[in-house]
Amino acid sequence: MHRILVINPGSMTTKLALYEDETQVWQSERSYSPEHLAPFGTVMEQFERRYADMVEDMRKQNAEVQSLSAVASRGGPFKPLEGGTYRITQTVVGDLLQGRVQFEHASMLGAALADLLLQGTDIPGFFVDPVSVDELESVARISGLPELERKSLVHALNIKAAGRKVAKRLKKDLVQLRLVVAHLGGGISICPLKYGRIVDVNNAAEGGPFTPERSGSLPVSSLICLCYSGSYTQSEMKKKIVGAGGLAAHLGTNDAILVEKRISEGDAKAERIYRAMAYQIVKEIGAMATVLNCMADGIILTGGLARSELLTGWIKDSVHALAPVFILPGEFEMEALAMGALRVLRGEEKPKSYENQ
Amino acid sequence: MNGSENKSFLRILVVNSGSTSTRLALFENETPVFSETMMHSAEALKPFHRIADQYDFRLRAIKGFLSRNGIRLDTLDAVVARGGLLRPVEGGTYAVNDRMLEDLHQAAQGEHASNLGGLIARSIADAAGVPAYIVDPVVVDELDDVARVSGLPQTPRRSIFHALNQKAVARVAAGVLKKTVDEINLIVAHLGGGISVGCHRRGRVVDVNNALDGEGPFAPERAGSVPSGQLAELCFSGRYTFTEIRKMLTGSGGLVAHLGTNDMRVVRKRIASGDATARLIIEAMAYQIVKQIGASAAALNGDVQAVVLTGGLAADLDFTALIADRIRWIAPVVVLPGEQEMTSLCQGALRVLRNQETLKEY
Repeated sequence: MHRILVINPGSMTTKLALYEDETQVWQSERSYSPEHLAPFGTVMEQFERRYADMVEDMRKQNAEVQSLSAVASRGGPFKPLEGGTYRITQTVVGDLLQGRVQFEHASMLGAALADLLLQGTDIPGFFVDPVSVDELESVARISGLPELERKSLVHALNIKAAGRKVAKRLKKDLVQLRLVVAHLGGGISICPLKYGRIVDVNNAAEGGPFTPERSGSLPVSSLICLCYSGSYTQSEMKKKIVGAGGLAAHLGTNDAILVEKRISEGDAKAERIYRAMAYQIVKEIGAMATVLNCMADGIILTGGLARSELLTGWIKDSVHALAPVFILPGEFEMEALAMGALRVLRGEEKPKSYENQ
Repeated sequence: MNGSENKSFLRILVVNSGSTSTRLALFENETPVFSETMMHSAEALKPFHRIADQYDFRLRAIKGFLSRNGIRLDTLDAVVARGGLLRPVEGGTYAVNDRMLEDLHQAAQGEHASNLGGLIARSIADAAGVPAYIVDPVVVDELDDVARVSGLPQTPRRSIFHALNQKAVARVAAGVLKKTVDEINLIVAHLGGGISVGCHRRGRVVDVNNALDGEGPFAPERAGSVPSGQLAELCFSGRYTFTEIRKMLTGSGGLVAHLGTNDMRVVRKRIASGDATARLIIEAMAYQIVKQIGASAAALNGDVQAVVLTGGLAADLDFTALIADRIRWIAPVVVLPGEQEMTSLCQGALRVLRNQETLKEY
């Protein structure tokens, strides 16, 4: 039996879990308020505080480091990497501490926390399918301007986990299937999962459908007019695109549950905007379906927003003619991290080398 | 009933004013009898400050065409022109009424050479005592309400596209399927210097990427959709003026930006001589067109009877093959290369003269 500790730092939480093989033994969640985190300038400055809290949470569960077979942490916004499970090495930790990442995000704490926890032991630490997974085909990298290359930043962990779950249902291996996966959350990633690889993706911060708080693809002329209007600073524009776009810009809230409540009370504008979001998701699914060159084996709707029966109902109505639709509400991050480590511990998969990419 | 139905044929004068040319044709029913393209040099157009100022100059050119070919005004049944930048309208054939004249003259929605068409057509038609029409201008707007919403309230999506050719080839494709356009759903991809992919639901174009505003696939001269965040960074970088960025996106984007030419024949030669970059860029352009077609198929709930590839680039067999191979699973692919603007305009006039379609009022 393999005992795996999972470490998943989010922007306002640190989640821990212990797995014995496929079974979760316990899970804990430590929440931070904006006031808690205010004193820290950068994410890495939170490290000591987060580490102390993690050790305390483990103690509460009587979790002994020595009893572990491995630690699986969430990966950060590293350099572009193939999907898979990676050993946390000193190079990985060095890149995190030196800020050699694509952008700042709390997930970068994961590998550093695991590394310190495992110091002086020979227990392996892993990270799995980070947001920087890049398996794009060359044609997918090209935009209409050479200066603006399309990049892969994607909810890879949940997307690959959802793909594996559907593969299991279809009694197939992920590498045999051609799927389209839509991760629907505060950010939305829609990708073709072709024989297990994310060969294209909208890049939730740069394009695709608008989301509860991101603007997605915008008509380019209008966007440059806004940028040069003098009405907005660069950081205000950035905020419009990621953080305060989409539902937040149209309806003043990024809370889909609230939007649905307003719709049920007869708010026509809320319904119009929410339907438009579903419509753009539908179009992105259709676009990604063509990347597979044939009818897909399945379309998967996953992520927090996939809990909404209203939204998934609208999407399903439009895309079910293109392929069978599977709805897997929520995120499976903890499980996906544990399973990523487990596959390596069992020798079913080789760990990938961070250094070689 | 229209009195002209007693004649054996209808004579239609077609006026198509482009930025550097005026194309003219006289049709007898569907058959062009005389046609001529007059090129206007930059020199000749230089004295005119606004496009509307070219009115007399262009009108003289047309009178020359009429007298050279011995076309008497009293033999005409209608004059039809390409529509200009008007207010958004439904598709169809419109009478050039006073309100339209005013909008065209003042260029209320923007300056464009096609604005002259309606003005000139009306002047000749008035002299001949016959109706003046425009057909399916670029401002045709039949978008579904959901298609108008973008991720920011300040940047609504608009419908500006190759409506004349899209609607004309949709009719041809429907004919191939032995149906009329209002019985079927089609996706029409107009592949030219700009690329527009329209969702034709029962004859109405309910969604289309706005090639002019920068949406959808990149094209020979246009960048199409580009990553929003990175574009904003470029705008704020201080390295480019507004005009420069605009030019990068709409005149020198796409193939021009990547390969330094908007000419597919040149690109083909480079590919044939082993230029791997040229090949990749062409594949990427096809790839983005395919994705836009897929998005359109989903917008039509997968209920699509045919995908039509049209416009100048649709004559390139290797290029259309790159597209067709990836989308055949959606629907049969019909290739109707080129753009028969003059014929499409004439047919728009004929449909209303023959009472096959109701004339619309602007």
